[in-house]
Amino acid sequence: MSKLVNISIDGKKIQAPEGANLLQVAHNNGIKIPSLCYHKKLTPTGACRLCITKIKGTNGLVMSCTVSVKERMEITAFDQEIEETRKHILDYLLAEHNDHYDGTYNDEFREWVAHYGLDKPENRKYPNISKALNYKTCLPAGKVDDSSPVLTYDASKCIKCFRCIKGCDEVQGKNVLSFSERGITSYIIAGFDQWNESECDGCGECVQLCPTGALVEKPHMDEIRLDKLDKKVITTCPYCGVGCQLELSVQDGKIVRSDGVEGVLPNDGRLCVKGRFGYDYVHSKERLTTPLIKKNGEFVEASWDEALDFIATKFSEIKEKYGSDALAGYSSAKCTNEDNYLFQKFIRVVFGTNNIDYCTRLCHASTVTAMLKSIGDGAGSNSIEDFATTDCLFVTGNNIIETHPVTATYVKNGKYAGKKLIVCDPKWTPLVKYADIWLQPRLGTDVALLNGMIRVIIKEDLIDPDFIKKRVDRGMEAFEELKQLVEKYTPEKTEEITSIPKEKIIEAARMYATARTAMIATGMGMSQQVTGTNNVFSLINMMMITGQIGKERAGIDPPRGQNNVQGATDVGCSPLIYPGYIPITNEENRKRVAKLWNLDFENLSGKPGLTTVEIMHAAYDKKVKGMYIMGENPMVTDPDLNHTEKALKELDFLVVQDIFHTETTPFADVILPAASFAEKEGTFVNSDRRVIRVRKAVESPGKARDDWRIIVDIAEKMGYSIGNYNTESEIFDEIAQAAPIMAGISYDRIELQGIQWPCPDKNHPGTSTLFLEKFNTPNGKGILNPVEHVPQIEQPSKEFPFILNTGRILYHYHTSTMSRRNKALTDFANESYVLMNPGDVIKFGLTGGEKVRLTSKQGELVTTLQASDQVAEGELFMPWHYSEAPVNRLTRSDLDPFSKIAAFKLTACKVEKI
Amino acid sequence: MIKETRITLKNLGRINPESIDDYINVGGYKAFEKVVGRHHIEIIDEMVKSSLRGRGGAGFSAGLKEKFTSEACLRCEQKYLICNADEGEPGTFKDRIIMENDPHLMLEGMLIAAYAIGASKAYIYIRGEYYKSIDRINKAISAAKEKGIIGKNVFGSAFSVDVEVKLGAGSYLCGEELTLLESLEGKRGYPRIKPPYPAEYGLYGKPTLINNVETLATIPTIIEKGPDWYTSLGTENSPGTKIFTISGDVNKPGYYETEMGITLRELIYELAGGIKDGKEFYAAILGGAAGTFVNELVLDTPMGFDTLKEKGAVLGSGAIMVMSEGRSLFDMTNSILEFFKHESCGKCVPCRIGMPQLLHIMENLKNNKIGRAEALDLLLYESEFMAKSSLCPLGQSPILPIKSLKQYFENEF
Repeated sequence: MSKLVNISIDGKKIQAPEGANLLQVAHNNGIKIPSLCYHKKLTPTGACRLCITKIKGTNGLVMSCTVSVKERMEITAFDQEIEETRKHILDYLLAEHNDHYDGTYNDEFREWVAHYGLDKPENRKYPNISKALNYKTCLPAGKVDDSSPVLTYDASKCIKCFRCIKGCDEVQGKNVLSFSERGITSYIIAGFDQWNESECDGCGECVQLCPTGALVEKPHMDEIRLDKLDKKVITTCPYCGVGCQLELSVQDGKIVRSDGVEGVLPNDGRLCVKGRFGYDYVHSKERLTTPLIKKNGEFVEASWDEALDFIATKFSEIKEKYGSDALAGYSSAKCTNEDNYLFQKFIRVVFGTNNIDYCTRLCHASTVTAMLKSIGDGAGSNSIEDFATTDCLFVTGNNIIETHPVTATYVKNGKYAGKKLIVCDPKWTPLVKYADIWLQPRLGTDVALLNGMIRVIIKEDLIDPDFIKKRVDRGMEAFEELKQLVEKYTPEKTEEITSIPKEKIIEAARMYATARTAMIATGMGMSQQVTGTNNVFSLINMMMITGQIGKERAGIDPPRGQNNVQGATDVGCSPLIYPGYIPITNEENRKRVAKLWNLDFENLSGKPGLTTVEIMHAAYDKKVKGMYIMGENPMVTDPDLNHTEKALKELDFLVVQDIFHTETTPFADVILPAASFAEKEGTFVNSDRRVIRVRKAVESPGKARDDWRIIVDIAEKMGYSIGNYNTESEIFDEIAQAAPIMAGISYDRIELQGIQWPCPDKNHPGTSTLFLEKFNTPNGKGILNPVEHVPQIEQPSKEFPFILNTGRILYHYHTSTMSRRNKALTDFANESYVLMNPGDVIKFGLTGGEKVRLTSKQGELVTTLQASDQVAEGELFMPWHYSEAPVNRLTRSDLDPFSKIAAFKLTACKVEKI
Repeated sequence: MIKETRITLKNLGRINPESIDDYINVGGYKAFEKVVGRHHIEIIDEMVKSSLRGRGGAGFSAGLKEKFTSEACLRCEQKYLICNADEGEPGTFKDRIIMENDPHLMLEGMLIAAYAIGASKAYIYIRGEYYKSIDRINKAISAAKEKGIIGKNVFGSAFSVDVEVKLGAGSYLCGEELTLLESLEGKRGYPRIKPPYPAEYGLYGKPTLINNVETLATIPTIIEKGPDWYTSLGTENSPGTKIFTISGDVNKPGYYETEMGITLRELIYELAGGIKDGKEFYAAILGGAAGTFVNELVLDTPMGFDTLKEKGAVLGSGAIMVMSEGRSLFDMTNSILEFFKHESCGKCVPCRIGMPQLLHIMENLKNNKIGRAEALDLLLYESEFMAKSSLCPLGQSPILPIKSLKQYFENEF
């Protein structure tokens, strides 16, 4: 905390931190000094000149936004001269301004104009010159750039306050906007010309920061009227796991706008294109609105009673005939904690099995397995804001700008503040532009690379022996084992395996090890391999021997891909654990949970359940007969889809509960319509373990219902009570009882800000950094797990000469059932493609832009070829969002032996002309 | 007959500007060599004692500026010296004359200043259209590097220095020192918020000394002959010499370096050969566009920062544009205001919108929509508002010509 100083503004005595921004201090103390170009998120600009003040001892008028407060400063914020000058400035602005207002946006400028009585034209002194201004321009309609899919810029309404430019630079780190021309005819330009030709990715930060109507968003502009809004609702974004806080504007029962909530973590007002423009799917005509039962191969509308009775009968029959373990459930990373908690409770209590899993098994299972074993927690050790302040960030297998765009803004903020950034990825990602070092290993050589880096660190004596002795299990003895194992990974050898020049390997090792604090952000590129767990073990080995954990701004963070993938596991949607990571195999644990659930403990199965891919295998082998899938789409997400398809067909009975028809619903016997995020109350847990509120903004369409209510009803129809809840808050209170990590959290505590678990009691503030004192392992020490590099089994061959890598893009999300139902997002991207190195394109006689057939041992698909040096020779990359070219028709279901994650990132393929 | 006293132009015509040997033969780089053996505080003390005032126009003490930059931090990893050669003030061409005719003199001044403040890197930010100056400066730097005068451990001392040329791209505003810093950093030429001042937070956030070409070219001679000699020249508050660039209706337009304290009358009638075509003197603009109109009442005022200020005029860059009888003050004012409007960067509201407003008043006057007195009052009102509320010196400039019009030509405008 900085020292407090005493100042006075217009005689009012105020205490403020020394050096604080005077204008902000005034605003914080309710003194509303007018301003337009200032925003607390941005560096002061001093352009609008409205915030003028007088400071005793200083000549003339001083812009308060440019002043740092000092002891005994005496400020005059309002007197006749100052107020007249402000009015004069506003009158000037009106002279260049087109003040037509259509009621669709917040207009700070207009409010100040009215405040000074200048809304009446007769009070204005200066002739309006806005129509006569000739912008030399590339703006198509002379003054308006309408080319972006999501926003419109109107130069005649622009007051040139720089907020959009600074938002793009300082907040989002994108640097797309600037002024073209100068003086009175300057105007905002994106890139070098029109908006749609620039690098603008449509995050809309500029729109949110614009104090007038110069930058407005496009969607719903023809219907939105701010004075007709029903309400504004603060909730959590339904896309990736950053957990951005949204403010939804609702008009006539429909969401018409989404803004970022300023001043609240994790996003502090920042959003990405999906968070801001991706809500239309909620009101899609394609939403499921009534239960559907398959009769004679056709889906027929049914009442809830009819559907639930039918489901209860069928599940009960299977349980009776084949036993509990013939049933299984997929819970959902998109549903709330409350939904997921009751879902796993249902599977465990009503089905009587631990066959409960979900798609986390397909993304971070290996990360979590490795982290649990070596440090005792699978969740990220740090807070989102640490990405901006850690001295060195190692981003590996993680296209963070596209997959966690708002976390990436913090990474870029750090980079601009002089922090070091190492990117490790076989494919170019946009983050490479910001990196100090880009390591581009061959696919599947991560262990070798990390062992090579560890060897450099040891050889150059950059280890942290104190940390190893105090915090690592078996201390230097364990270290010696690691040292021996990595001895053969000389820089030369590592270069040979990974193809990364040894100088870069050495430089990266030094940069990471010598940083005062360093963090690791690891993603799917590391986890979705048959060596996924080993990859993460290697990362943790490097982190441990350098002591880059166990202190603030250091540790390992696997940003979560889906809104509630963290929460779904936290509340026990796993075949191995109860809520709060309590192993099911332990009898004491079972007794504790049984007591909470009012059960005889014998009724809780202690047998570990099947994981996601294992459930499909079991279905294929006719061992699992009935399945309940809530908000999952295995016909796109699972590896080796041909196999998945056969497995789903083998099931006797399948219930799919979702908001849309998906690639999976055709295989269902009953489809149940559920509520979307905007229609429910509840909580999500984001990537930094923050429990945050989800709030109902609109009504569900048709007969669609809350997931948890459907679950409770099915249980009841099957003769079980899994609890009497009136509200989601009551369900959460039970979660807090079940999961010690959330024991201190309840809805009333997270009304304004989320709380990061562990939060063991009501007075605990939550935990921003894990492992400061000890690890969560049985003896509190971290465990080194030395691992060898093993060459991949899947290798390119004569028949299949390419190795295919898969991943995500910014504009789409997961199986894109949500994202492709938003015009804004599909306007940016809506077509499947495969990237191939231009050298290979020539070598194989292909042409960029043409349709090609990709074939692997597992299957084939057709997509468009793009020549791109984002991928190395011999490698391919394909986004997996597009169901018309489902990349998982090609991938293998080979599993990582420890975590059972599938090897999505590595499939031998061939590419042919059609 | 009044004579020139040349310090910054002392070698003009005497040496080949492209020959470093010529420069050395007339005693060049002696002052720098002498300096590197001495404690930097001694150099700064001499500069302070010399009372040299910045020749870019503002007239701030060059020595104090050095002192502040030198004291900005004790163990700075980096300080910078910048030579502001972005000469853009209308009617001003003194820096060009120095650079074209004696580039080494300016370089030597830079090296001394860099040594005094402890800067290991110096930049010359030069107007992009000054092709000949750029060429000569570049040649001079190369030659000095070859001789080891620029580089590592110059003259066997611990002092190492590098000099680099950066070109401006046609913006008047980039001659303003804080805008210059932005431009030098590769950013768009917008003025920075002041404070912090460059001595504390300059180029890339490091302590930076920014001096005008003419200021720097004065330094070697001060070091060589001592501050007492320098203060013996000129007037008490404005010691030394100044290059005046005279243009307009005179018989011999051009550059003249004289001691401060010379009168406008002497400059026009004795050095510049009097008014052209035998006409009468009508008005002069002192200091360029961001300067002041004066009439014959100022002809006998000694030229100096303070003496002119007493008369409501400015010395500025030393530009003198002379108008003979029959010239239109309206046209001249209009052209100055057009220039400002063209150069306004648009960052702050008062300047961006004020400039067109001033021109709008001029247009109304031209179309007889308003009378002369009313127009002048309106111009004064708006330009005063601009002066007190603008972000940088550009928006604070129109008040200078307009106020002086009111003072000297209220009934003729």
